[in-house]
Amino acid sequence: MAGRFRRATAKWAAQFWADLKASTDAGLLGILRFLGLLYGPIDARLPIDQAFRKSLGYRLAPHVGWRHALGGITYLLFIILVITGVLLSVHYRPSAQEAYPSLQHIVSGVTLGWLIRDLHVWSASLLVLAVLAHMARVFFDAAYKPPRETNWLVGVLLLFLVLAFGASGYLLPWDQWAYWTVTEALNALATVPLVGGAAVAVLRGDPIVSGATLSRFFAMHVIVLPWITLALVAFHFTMVRRHGVAPLRNATAEPGRGRVFFPSHLLRSFMVAVVTCAVVISAAALWPRPVGEPADPAKLPEIVRSTWVVVDVSRALTHYLGAWGFVGFTLVALGLAFVPLFDRGPERDLRRRPAVAILGLVFFVGFVAAWMAGRQLRSGPPPEALPAASEASTPPPAAGAPLPELGPTPTRAAPPADTTRAGGPR
Amino acid sequence: MSGGLMLATIAMALAAPAQQDTAYGCVACHADKRAAFVQGVHAERGIRCHDCHGGDPSAYALPAAHRGRFVGAPGKVATVALCGSCHSDPNRMRQYGLPSGQVAEFRTSRHGRLLLMGHDLDAPTCTDCHDAHTILRPDDARSTVYPTNIPTTCARCHEDKRLMAKYRLPTDQVERYRLSAHGVALFRNQNFASPTCVGCHGSHSALPPTVSEIANVCERCHILVGQAFDRGPHGRAAHAGKIAGCLGCHSNHGTERVPADRIAAACAKCHAAGTSAHTLGTQIQQRAVEATEELRSAQVAIAQLSLAGRQTGDARFRYQTALTAYEQIAQAQHSLDAEQLDDLARQVRSISRDLRGMAGVAEEQRWEHKLLLVPVWFLALASLVLAWFALRHLEGAGGRP
Repeated sequence: MAGRFRRATAKWAAQFWADLKASTDAGLLGILRFLGLLYGPIDARLPIDQAFRKSLGYRLAPHVGWRHALGGITYLLFIILVITGVLLSVHYRPSAQEAYPSLQHIVSGVTLGWLIRDLHVWSASLLVLAVLAHMARVFFDAAYKPPRETNWLVGVLLLFLVLAFGASGYLLPWDQWAYWTVTEALNALATVPLVGGAAVAVLRGDPIVSGATLSRFFAMHVIVLPWITLALVAFHFTMVRRHGVAPLRNATAEPGRGRVFFPSHLLRSFMVAVVTCAVVISAAALWPRPVGEPADPAKLPEIVRSTWVVVDVSRALTHYLGAWGFVGFTLVALGLAFVPLFDRGPERDLRRRPAVAILGLVFFVGFVAAWMAGRQLRSGPPPEALPAASEASTPPPAAGAPLPELGPTPTRAAPPADTTRAGGPR
Repeated sequence: MSGGLMLATIAMALAAPAQQDTAYGCVACHADKRAAFVQGVHAERGIRCHDCHGGDPSAYALPAAHRGRFVGAPGKVATVALCGSCHSDPNRMRQYGLPSGQVAEFRTSRHGRLLLMGHDLDAPTCTDCHDAHTILRPDDARSTVYPTNIPTTCARCHEDKRLMAKYRLPTDQVERYRLSAHGVALFRNQNFASPTCVGCHGSHSALPPTVSEIANVCERCHILVGQAFDRGPHGRAAHAGKIAGCLGCHSNHGTERVPADRIAAACAKCHAAGTSAHTLGTQIQQRAVEATEELRSAQVAIAQLSLAGRQTGDARFRYQTALTAYEQIAQAQHSLDAEQLDDLARQVRSISRDLRGMAGVAEEQRWEHKLLLVPVWFLALASLVLAWFALRHLEGAGGRP
């Protein structure tokens, strides 16, 4: 009995050592296996190592180039946002009393807190630009055509999630700029026929933007939206792997003839990631988001600084084109989102798709132009009520303009005051 | 007659549903007076027409209605006696918490002396300032003696150039008051602690303060400034009747502040340039202007700290200390105590310098954040170069078919 046990143990140890020696060849994987991180003895029974090798040796389509990195940049920015967001949530306190002081603590008390916070702010803006650039690439390459139209629609959903992330995160600093921009945005939303009033009632949770609103926005920002986004991103990536990268022009896809994933493609991805991170860190260090006055529902600030690219665009659209300009641009964007449902032909050459090309150009060029114009309005006076906002809803009384100053009622036109005379008693 | 009776019945039916005076004869003709009267506090207390005017309220037609102890519309002098018949009686006024000295006060006032002793019928009686029938509480915003209405009430006569010419009085007081610190506080800020006309002149005992009284009138509110003023040489001169108290530098109805940079100019009105008093004035002006600048730069420093995300509670607390010292400078000016002034200016300067220092440190740290770019870009460029060489090596060696 004891002899059998000793023999079995010795046999197992010898086999283990043989496996270890056999799997420890020179190279990156060898080092990982030697450290016990990867599939040494385990691989003797499960073919994980082979699967891993196979996936590392995967060859991409030959036309995959630098512009296909835009989706990856978007994902990287999302990861930066998740990491910095978790770090921020360690110190942030989502209540009307504590939000602003906790923000001051993050910016000036926590080690590197300013960097974490400004990385979060800048990634949020750059993420929108990266998403739109990625969408423009997909749109002009006609990569949304069957069989990939589902993935295009998932992508559109993800864009909406990005916008919801930014909108809900915008209030969290709880300073005057955040408070009044959100107040204005909710007032504008309330003017949407039928659903506007109800949506605002649910989102705001109070007659004015208050601690109730802050709690709602915080819950959306850190609990609801991340899980939905994670699920959709997983689906999005699975679909990309299933369909492969869309072929160019009228060529058919030729998988397996291009660059190998490891290390050739991974090194290129690494270079893109390094540049992206360096750009975000540079922007955060060079242009930190200042901290405004603490939110005060009783006082309109003199200036409202916008701190997110989408707010810049909205302000430019409403300022230069009016409320209908904003609505029109939103309709163009929706048209863009649903193009794949109608444009299903095999044609992929942009020159033979003039209507779609014009629609895309109007949106993407318009967005960049409005962003540039909006940056000029950044520190403008507080947003005024939209011109078309008055009939459709009753805006909250407390969030409106301040009462007009009560002056004395002159009994007649006052001549300039004689301030130098010091009259004696009469 | 029956037509008159019918009209009277209709008038009563229209005018008097709420009060139980459908049997009250006066309103048969004087419905307009009744409409004015029922708004007031006299109606609330159950006073009726005949309590002041006499007559027979149960009669509906002349001449029966105007019989008995009928007064009609009393004259100006009679009005004082009529109002006084109740309002001078402490036993009647006590229950309402009202004073009973108005008529006694009125006799001492310029208005009262003109009317009662000079029999000047241009002088006002009770009903010229308080309406005859619509007697409202002073805290009713419709009342003629509600704080924001008092200047207009006084101006009804005092802006009348023809009337005032008779007494050789100016007519610009209300206009200047509206622009004054007191007027702005009252009308724009609705600060009812700010004096109206009656705050300085008295209401029923209205008189302009005399030269030696002026400082005492102002000191009723401006206590600390008044104490400082009394300590200094100007205060002694004022109490000796040599200068017109506060009016030496400030005006009566305009009540403007002397701005910090105009102090020496105010001194120069009496003290010739080059005299030691004028030199002291120039010194005081210098301190006041400096302190104003220091305070402003302290505000800027707090704004900078706030923008940099610093918690500013401590800084704001210290700013309050500086502000207190600054306000005390305004007091110390009135005693002409150069030493105290220097001491206060030093406090303001020291706090302001501290706050500027804090803002400077915050600004410097924000600048130092940019130094992070050096290692970040060094690492980034190094990684890029390495990756580039690795790619060239791999693909040159057949990494790409």
